[in-house]
Formats: sequence, structure tokens, C-alpha cells
Amino acid sequence: MDLALLGQYVINGLMLGMMYALVAVGFTLFFGVLDVIKFSHGDVLMVGAFTGYTTFLGLEAAGVHMPVIQIVLLVIASTVLVGLLGAAIAKYLILPLTNAPALNILLATMMLGTVLREAVRLFFPEGSNPKRFPRLLPDTVIPIGGFDLRVDSLMLLIAGVLVIVAIHTVINRTKLGLAIRAVAQDAETARIMGINFELVVLVTFAIGSAAAAVAGVMNGLYYNEINFGMGLLLGVIGFAAAIVGGLGNIYGAILGGFLFAALQTIGAVALPFASAYKDVFAFAVIISIMAWRPTGLIPEKVSERV
Amino acid sequence: MTANLILEDVYTAYDKADVLEGVSLEARSGEITCLLGSNGAGKTTTIRSILGLTPPRAGNIKFNDAALTGMATHRIVGLGMSCIPEGRKVFPKLTTEENLRLGAYQQTDEKVIQQRIAEVYEIFPRLEERRDQLAGTMSGGEQAMVSIGRGLMSAPKMLLIDEPSLGLSPLYVKENFKIIQRINERGITVFLVEQNVRQTLAIAHRGYVLSKGRVVAAGTPEELRANEEVHAAYFG
Repeated sequence: MDLALLGQYVINGLMLGMMYALVAVGFTLFFGVLDVIKFSHGDVLMVGAFTGYTTFLGLEAAGVHMPVIQIVLLVIASTVLVGLLGAAIAKYLILPLTNAPALNILLATMMLGTVLREAVRLFFPEGSNPKRFPRLLPDTVIPIGGFDLRVDSLMLLIAGVLVIVAIHTVINRTKLGLAIRAVAQDAETARIMGINFELVVLVTFAIGSAAAAVAGVMNGLYYNEINFGMGLLLGVIGFAAAIVGGLGNIYGAILGGFLFAALQTIGAVALPFASAYKDVFAFAVIISIMAWRPTGLIPEKVSERV
Repeated sequence: MTANLILEDVYTAYDKADVLEGVSLEARSGEITCLLGSNGAGKTTTIRSILGLTPPRAGNIKFNDAALTGMATHRIVGLGMSCIPEGRKVFPKLTTEENLRLGAYQQTDEKVIQQRIAEVYEIFPRLEERRDQLAGTMSGGEQAMVSIGRGLMSAPKMLLIDEPSLGLSPLYVKENFKIIQRINERGITVFLVEQNVRQTLAIAHRGYVLSKGRVVAAGTPEELRANEEVHAAYFG
């Protein structure tokens, strides 16, 4: 294989891994504070991508054409609105159900996912068809040997790293993060400490959902195409990544995300005649890992939850 | 700094079964008030009711002039209430210092927090040696110190203590009761829930005996020691 192709695979794998990690971090945060699995998470990501897309259309209509301003505003709109959406889902759907069987939350959030998907599909004109996401990042390349490194890919990867570092810093270095970790370990004692439990839960859901929005916008900017069903597979992969890394553990989620992307990439490279089977290959390996390490690669017992 | 806690005819239920059936009691400012009772009498439920963790279904709970019934736990804590929960309940995967910081969660002044941490280290020098150790890896006695220190971090007006001697060696139990007395001497009102009658009555100013969700005896330690029901139940 030549360097150009290899480089392309590596960049593509890293980009996918970053998106998966951002989704998986959300799953792991939600499970950490409330012990719930929120299956609408992938569709929340899709809402993030479409919020960004709508913001772009709005800015174009308003006569704002500078890509830098457009991208800053669409990222802000997407993360803020989806963060609020996440908090609202927690407040009105998940918190009222916390005393119900876990299965009910699973079902309720699954149905919510369908609601979000259908709402977007029906709201946008020709919503069933993919939408062209604008190319807002510079399309220049940095030649490295025979390989052309796209500057926009590099920027997206750096942005992803910054988001993950930011989440890590909030969790481990701030008072809010200390409260989140306390709630994750023992919600009741956290309340006795004077922590506003509900507020911490809402903020955690806002953070996790905003991370998914970033992944959605990243997906749009990288592939220049979004569609109403994009959250389905990304949600399942993010969930699998969180599980395989060890649910409740942020580093596990990140590890799981990149592991899944690596498996897909290896699948595509190793099965040149059947690269369409890369997801089959990746999921099969994930299933084997789960059988081998049922509690995940970084199980909760030895690691700090959240 | 008054801290009067009054429970009036409190009924508390888990699901539908009443655990507290009309509990009335008073913890007076500056005193150590104890609540004695055997397992399942409703002692922990009383504390949960006061803190709003299991809100009572009927009755009133008043702290000074504030009605606690229906108030969220973090607001009750904000009024100057603090708790050393049963089984210590340290956050196992947080360090000693992080545990202590959580005790002063509603305090925003970093200087005050630092000063209070220093005070806790003065009472428990051992904790300063272990400030960066995860609380879950410490011995039961050390965890008790973390839990007590954490309860003091908010500089509470009133401290609720739920079975501090549970699961500790006799030496630590004795030490613990001394510490509770010292805490009270600093002006903090104490509401102490215990099964260990002798040691509790030795430090309490006033006590109540709970049985099957009802207060069956009340009075000074001398009166309780002389009370036949208490005798039958504990000194047998």
C-alpha cells in the first residue's frame, strides 16, 4: 500500500474515532450520574448537525457569507441548543422515570429518538433526502511525501481533541466536576453534602449532548453531507464504544471510540474485496471483546467512575 | 446561633408502609440530643425525614423558624444542617481532601475552605498525612475521621450523626464519642442516633427512645436510665 492511501486511512480512522469518542463520552456521563442508558443520544447528535445546517441557511439568508463567522456561529448555536435539548430530555423524560424499571427509560428514549428523527425528516423540505452540508473550512492541503493532508481534517481533529480535553478538565479540575463525580459515586450522600442533585444531572446531560452536537457538526463538515438517519448508526457505535471501554468511565469511552474506528479501518484495509463488510467485521470483534471482558476494557471497579 | 430542631407528629412511609408513626421530638440548641432504638425502630428514617431524603407524608419538621417539610435536601443543608451518615459513606474514589471539600460544597470562599480543612487536620492529624489517598482504600477508623471531618466542613449549626459506632472497633467507638462531645462543646447542636445506650447516655443532655416508629420514652439520661422500658429493652 502506498503512503497516500495509508495516510488517508489513518486520517479517516482518527476522524471517525473522534466522533465515536465524543458520542461515547455522553453515554458514559449519563450512565455515571443516573445509571441510565439514553438511546436517543445518536438522534440528538443528528439534531446537532441539523441545527448547524439550519444556522448556516439562516446566516446565508441574512447575508452573512464569511465562512469564519458562519462556522463559529453554527457551532455555538448547535452546542447551546442541543445542550438545552439534552437538559430538557433529562428533566422531563428521564428524571421522572428514575424510579421506574430501567427498561422503561430505555424504551422511552428509544421512542424519543424516533420522534426526533421523524420531526427532522418531516420539517425539512425533502427531509428524507441527504442535505448538503457546507464546506466552511479551508480546502488547502499540506503535502507530506506523496500524501496530501487536508487542512480541514487537521482542524477538525484538533477541535475534537480540545473538546475532549475541555470535558476532562471540567470533570477533574472544577467544583462542578467534583460534584458530578460525587453524584456518580453516591447520589444520596452527594445530596447530603448540599449538592443540588437535579442541577448536576441537568448540567451533565447538557455537557454530554453538546459533545454529541460537536460530533454531528464535525460529521457534516467532514463528509459535507448529513441526513435525518445519521444518528442511528453513530448512536449504536457510540454506545458500543462506551460499553467496550467500560461504561461509566470517560477514558474507556474514548478508548472504545478509537478502537471501533481502528477496527473499521483495519476491516476496510484487510478486506479489500469486501470493504463494505468493515462494520460487520468491527462489530464482530467488539462482540468478542465483550465476551472476553464483560465489564469493559477499563472496568468500573478499578477505575474512577466518570 | 440557635439551632432548634422540632419534629411534630411525623409520619414517614416507604412505599405504603409507615415506618414512623407520629414521631414528635425536639433537639435543643447547644445540646446533644440522642435517639435510641433497636434495629428497624425507624432511627435512620427519622434522619432521612429531617434531611428530606425520604420526605414525611404527614407532620411538621421545623429548624429554627424554617419549615423543612417539602424542602429539597440541598436547601435544608444550606440552612446549617449537616450529617454524618450511617456507615460513614465516604466517596470511595475521591481523595481525603476532595471528600472534605464536598462537605463545604455550598461555601464559595476558597480561603474559608482552606481554613476549615486546616481545622479538620488539626482534629485528625492522620487525615493530613493521607490527604491525597483515595478514601475507599483507607481503614474503617480513618474513613470515620473523613466522614466526621466532612460533616464539620460546612461549619454547621446542627449535626445529625447516624450510628457512628457501627462497625468500628471498641477503641474507635470510645474515641468517636469523645470527639462528638468536643464538637458539641464548640457550640454545634448534635442530634445523635445510636444503639449503644451506655456510651450515648454518658454524653447526651436529653434523649428519646424509639420503638416501632413511635417515641416510647423521653427525658434526661438519668430518667432514661431509670426508665423500666428502656431497662427492659437494653440493660435486661
